[in-house]
Amino acid sequence: MTNDMKREFIQAMLNRRQLLQAAGAGTAAVALSGLGSAASAQEKVELTIWAWTPNTQSEIDLFTKAFPNISVKLENAGQGPDEYVKLRNAVRAGTGLPDVGQVEFTNIPGFRQLQALLDMGQYGANDVKDKFIDWTWASASEGDAVYGIPWDSGPMGILYRADVLDAHKIAVPKTWAEFAESSKALSKASPNTYLTNFGGTADGGWVIALLAQAGWKPFELNGTDLKLHLNDAIAKKWAVYWQDLIDANAVGVKTPVWTTDWFTGLDEGTYASWLTGAWGAVFIPQFAKKSNGHWRAAPLPQWEEGKYVSANLGGSTFAVFNTTKHPKEATQLAVFLGSDPETARLWNTKQFLFPVLKDLVADPELMSHKYDLYGGQAVNEIFVESAKHVDSSFQYAPFQDYLAGQVQQELSASIGGKGSLSDAFDRLQEVVSAYCSDQGYTVSQ
Amino acid sequence: MAALKSRTRRYRVSKRLAPYLFLAPFALLFIAFLIAPMVYAFTLAIYKTTVVGGTRFVGAENFVRALSDPKFWQGVTVLLQFALIQIPGMVAVALLIALILDSGTVYAKSFFRVSLFLPYAVPAVIATLIWGYLYGPAFGPFTQLANLLGLPPPNFLTPGMMLPSIANIANWEYTGYQMIIYYAALQAIPADLEEAASMDGASSLIYALKVKLPLIVPMVVVTIIFSIIGSLQLFSEPYLLHNLSPTVINNAYTPNYYAYTLAFTNQQYNYSAAVSFVLGGVTAVISYAFMLIVNRGGRT
Amino acid sequence: MTIVGKSKRSPTFRRNRWMLSAILAVIWLYTALPLFYVLVSATKSNNDLFTTFGLWFSDDFRLFENIGQVFSYQDGIFSRWLLNTIVYATVAGIGAALFSTMAGYALAKYDFRGKRLIFAIILGAVMIPQTALVVPLFLLMSKVGMVNTPWAVILPSLVYPPGVFLMRVYADDAIPNELIDAGRVDGAGEFHIFSALTLRLLMPGFATVLILSFVATWNNYFLPLVVLSSAEYFPVTVGLAQWYATATVGSGGGAALFTLVLAGALISIVPVIIAFIVMQRFWQGGLGAGGVKA
Repeated sequence: MTNDMKREFIQAMLNRRQLLQAAGAGTAAVALSGLGSAASAQEKVELTIWAWTPNTQSEIDLFTKAFPNISVKLENAGQGPDEYVKLRNAVRAGTGLPDVGQVEFTNIPGFRQLQALLDMGQYGANDVKDKFIDWTWASASEGDAVYGIPWDSGPMGILYRADVLDAHKIAVPKTWAEFAESSKALSKASPNTYLTNFGGTADGGWVIALLAQAGWKPFELNGTDLKLHLNDAIAKKWAVYWQDLIDANAVGVKTPVWTTDWFTGLDEGTYASWLTGAWGAVFIPQFAKKSNGHWRAAPLPQWEEGKYVSANLGGSTFAVFNTTKHPKEATQLAVFLGSDPETARLWNTKQFLFPVLKDLVADPELMSHKYDLYGGQAVNEIFVESAKHVDSSFQYAPFQDYLAGQVQQELSASIGGKGSLSDAFDRLQEVVSAYCSDQGYTVSQ
Repeated sequence: MAALKSRTRRYRVSKRLAPYLFLAPFALLFIAFLIAPMVYAFTLAIYKTTVVGGTRFVGAENFVRALSDPKFWQGVTVLLQFALIQIPGMVAVALLIALILDSGTVYAKSFFRVSLFLPYAVPAVIATLIWGYLYGPAFGPFTQLANLLGLPPPNFLTPGMMLPSIANIANWEYTGYQMIIYYAALQAIPADLEEAASMDGASSLIYALKVKLPLIVPMVVVTIIFSIIGSLQLFSEPYLLHNLSPTVINNAYTPNYYAYTLAFTNQQYNYSAAVSFVLGGVTAVISYAFMLIVNRGGRT
Repeated sequence: MTIVGKSKRSPTFRRNRWMLSAILAVIWLYTALPLFYVLVSATKSNNDLFTTFGLWFSDDFRLFENIGQVFSYQDGIFSRWLLNTIVYATVAGIGAALFSTMAGYALAKYDFRGKRLIFAIILGAVMIPQTALVVPLFLLMSKVGMVNTPWAVILPSLVYPPGVFLMRVYADDAIPNELIDAGRVDGAGEFHIFSALTLRLLMPGFATVLILSFVATWNNYFLPLVVLSSAEYFPVTVGLAQWYATATVGSGGGAALFTLVLAGALISIVPVIIAFIVMQRFWQGGLGAGGVKA
């Protein structure tokens, strides 16, 4: 992009904001298409994007309307890990990568490590930085280098069964201390009923998110020097906390999340709550039946009374791969899909993605929809508040998939009889240190 | 005289060349799509690529590491136990079904044939749903039945029950497959043999056990060898059960699963390749040992 | 198959018939239980799937809606997946059966140099698990630009080593050497002997290898998962797995597609049943005249 084009771009964006406030989103498309024809050379460009979110074609259609000289082929190359395997294979083969791809926040560092991502900052991406909630942007960028345009997020909260809690006169826990008390009280009052199911046996990401809420910052990477302290005091505190609940049979450990029994259990009230991201709120109504109307949402329990620290679980970005032959257009596609107001609105209303744009999160009409499953509660408000309190300094490791897998493995092993959860973290530290040394990092504590 | 000579000459060349020509299509595809990737995998195993430091030649280092890896050998032990539990039962039941179907003395033969084969056709993706339900410790049908009868609920997913539970799934999936092979083999037995046996006074049962069964033994041996190989490469069932019972099954439960984890979760491609080759070696040793025992007579 | 000397009305025969049928029925129940779960689940709505008794129908019977949804979801891509799978499995099945039969015949009926070695190599190659070979295969196919095409699935699937072994044993059993010698004496060429004289006898084996490799290709998940990235080439296994994954999400946009996946799985069994029924005809085997097995 030449300096002239950059200035034009910024002017168009500024104009667009004013236009939006005056005249609504329709004009934005016009202004943007003006931008499109100014910035590109009017040649026909073909882009490929890999994304698994259903019905993404609708949003792509909005893009092609605004940028008629760019045609976009959408491929669903698999979800999450399946897509990443294909991406990594394509990186190794040197060919076959798409221009743009859906990459979760957790996996951006990994692909950066493989040197597969294009720095979109060089193609004007930073111009939309301010539209995004801080931590979402920070998670996929480093200074002026932008590796992912945030797409959706999963600010965490607690979804709970009001009927079960009321029946046993348990108040919604506001702190983890209260949570522990309530768990024990519930299990004592009703055997085979648990306040929640322990997600760590099946989902390392869940553990890491909750640890992040507790302030866990397990590693620092400086070039090839890696400081690793997975079994630090915070991890131990967390481990001891949950071990206590496990020992008191106050938390479900027999049924991993995402199994048939777990779905049934949620509906039956065997598990009275689910600590999860905003997307969970939309997921439950799709399979629940008896519990319809009885669910509610509340903020995540806190370690310190009076404070509000939240965490993020899930969420994707649009990343551009550096083998692309059209970095400018690919950046335009990523930026548009992530930040165009009409498109962002559609992601929320059609696919129920939790937004990452400040404007949307502040939009009362969108965020105060009342859900039947939640007895008429406007659950999004809980998650909007949660999104404001996610720590933006938490970093994912370049080997995040491996780490999440190992967390799940070691915690499961402990629950299966190999010691306590604390021991699991000690083992984790050993195993991951060995792995990182093997990968060539210089590892220290 | 001359005409005869030219004919025999053509016949001789054809006969020597013929086997190679018959083998050619299979051989070419085999080399392209099995041998070539194997060679590539072998080169992966003798190198090491790290995130920091790039790729370097390491010779036998990965193999030595695999041979001394306790996770690998634990997995092999699991497999041997599994094979002992699963294979005999499956072969016996498959033979039983094949013999019954072949005897012609049942109702609805075609219906049984198709429906007993069906499990092999069910896509693996819904296995998690199926077995997650059937084995469900809280809401599965056997648990519900037990609750109804006041009995203690069965738990299919405890460490002690895990191998039988996996074996059960494998049996369900593959018995029909084996049955088809045995049934086809039985079809090759000429019917007049049976007439002769019957005229000698043999009942159908005796005929089945003493004549038909021994005649299809070579086929049974082949399927057992492939079952042994399949058992030693066990992957999809533990992978499925890992999702259902992560506290009992870890992602190195069998060596093949371990190799998969190393490659696709840990991105340790080189070591994964070495583990696969060592597994191949162990498989070869066990399979050839089995064949030696069976083929004492000398038929390969 | 008639049993000489025993009429179909004899009491022993009828008792045997009942007993054997009963044994089969018990085995059948064991086989059918999980299948029944699939059938029942495919008739439910997502909200009923986990909340009603798994082995019986719910009040909200939705089989036809679910089937309709299977074929219309995502712009009707399921039909495409089904077609892909049929093509891959049929081509690979016929090809694998043909090449395995030829190879098995050669190994059974000829003595030639390198026979034992070839045997050992084929068996040895099977000992390396597929999981180790798929990515190298992908990388090699990438070099020749074959990835993300139907050939990337079909060509590797034409290689079916168990078929070679099965056909070798079968050819050994089913083809008397005298038949081949007689053909040679009559001056027939080797290939003519194979195709005109022996192939008929090999039919049950051929049909078996065909159905086995057909289903193996039909079921193959890992190979197409790695070598295909466009949904238009997916077989049903990969497509359904994708739909299933959308249900167990963690990144937003998740739609509970369980009943869709179950209905899709049910539908995908049907072509296999058809193929099987068609193939059953070829199991009439036996030597020459008088050897007809019912």
